[in-house]
Amino acid sequence: MKTTCSVALMLALGFSMPAIASDLAISLQLPKISEGQYHRPYVAVWVEDSSEKSVRLIEIWREKPDWIKDLRRFWRKTGRSDQPLVDARTGATKGPGAYQLRWDGKDDKGALVPNGEYQLVIEAAREHGGRQLVKQKFNWDGSAITLTVAAGNEIGEVQLSRKAS
Amino acid sequence: MKTVHLFTLSALFAASSALAHTMNVLPSHYVQSKTGGYVTVDLFASNMTFQADKGVVVDGFKVVLPDGTVAKAAAAAQGKRKSIADVELSVAGTYRLEMGGQPRYFTSYKVGGEQKRLMGDKQKAAKELPKDATDVVTTQGRNRAMAFVTVNGPTDTVLKTTGQGLEFSFDRHPADIVAGEAVTVTLTLNDKPIEGVKADLSFDGELYRNDPARQHLVTDKAGQFSFTPANAGRYLLEASAEAVLKSEKADKIREGFTLSFEAALP
Repeated sequence: MKTTCSVALMLALGFSMPAIASDLAISLQLPKISEGQYHRPYVAVWVEDSSEKSVRLIEIWREKPDWIKDLRRFWRKTGRSDQPLVDARTGATKGPGAYQLRWDGKDDKGALVPNGEYQLVIEAAREHGGRQLVKQKFNWDGSAITLTVAAGNEIGEVQLSRKAS
Repeated sequence: MKTVHLFTLSALFAASSALAHTMNVLPSHYVQSKTGGYVTVDLFASNMTFQADKGVVVDGFKVVLPDGTVAKAAAAAQGKRKSIADVELSVAGTYRLEMGGQPRYFTSYKVGGEQKRLMGDKQKAAKELPKDATDVVTTQGRNRAMAFVTVNGPTDTVLKTTGQGLEFSFDRHPADIVAGEAVTVTLTLNDKPIEGVKADLSFDGELYRNDPARQHLVTDKAGQFSFTPANAGRYLLEASAEAVLKSEKADKIREGFTLSFEAALP
């Protein structure tokens, strides 16, 4: 009952998603691009362990399968070998704006990952446009996280935050 | 069946300069994320890496499907500067695209101090050689040009070595070659690691720079060398090797291959 109440409280306070305090909150911006043709980027967001193996696909925003390969790292690490996972996490492409994502500390199978060093990986590729890869390491050990990745050409500022559990 | 006896490794030496032109199999894409599509493959001879100089006869082109069966190109045409072939990718997995592949025989000899050559194995040469021919050597030669294309998940069937001739194996799948990450290659001749083979690694765009920046690699005792592609892009690996051979058809084997591949962005 207590949990339900706190979720209700957070919703009442304006949180867009119910979340447990120990989730990793990811704030991702996609920049407005006015030069050249603009097509919405294909974007993948995932978590890799310290050996750079993908442990959790968080989001993949894409349209046609033909072009998923242009997210080169995503395709090599996950996309090419796990179609059901890609389908399950697929969302429509998104235009410029700020997006709030979360990672609950679980792997693709739903098991909690062990404590250790991980990295958040965000890859974006745009038809007739550029490609960018953001990698941000963080320690997943129950401690608080406050990290900011500066904006690049295809991926705007990224913020990672987590309250200590 | 013909049996092949390799003599000592010291008899081996590279013969990379024996070929005037480099054969290329250069697909439009090395990686695809859907089945039912195509790649168009350029087939040509070149001096500078990936600069097409001469179109080649398309009959020698074949496609090895992910299950190991051999297919023909969906369409092919020979051009003056390059030939092209369309390859249908109807199933997922790794395809091998290959030019050449059949051994050819030629016999070199001298008559009156002049070097001559006839196309044919030892049996044919025995019938056709002039009576005063000296320094007779018959070579079994094979040159192959290859590339691997992977649709969705990579597979290994078309990478397997056969134990015949000069072959290579990588310590990672060709679809996993990434800029900045080391790759180790093992060369074998008739299934045995071969030491002292010279290989050349070059990359796209030689026409547009002064220094071709080729890496000259040599296999060690384990038949291996390693390289790290500095940048993402298209690369060409070339190697050839010779060995003494005792068979009914030839005295010597000479094998060469080229492999085009891409190093992906990290």
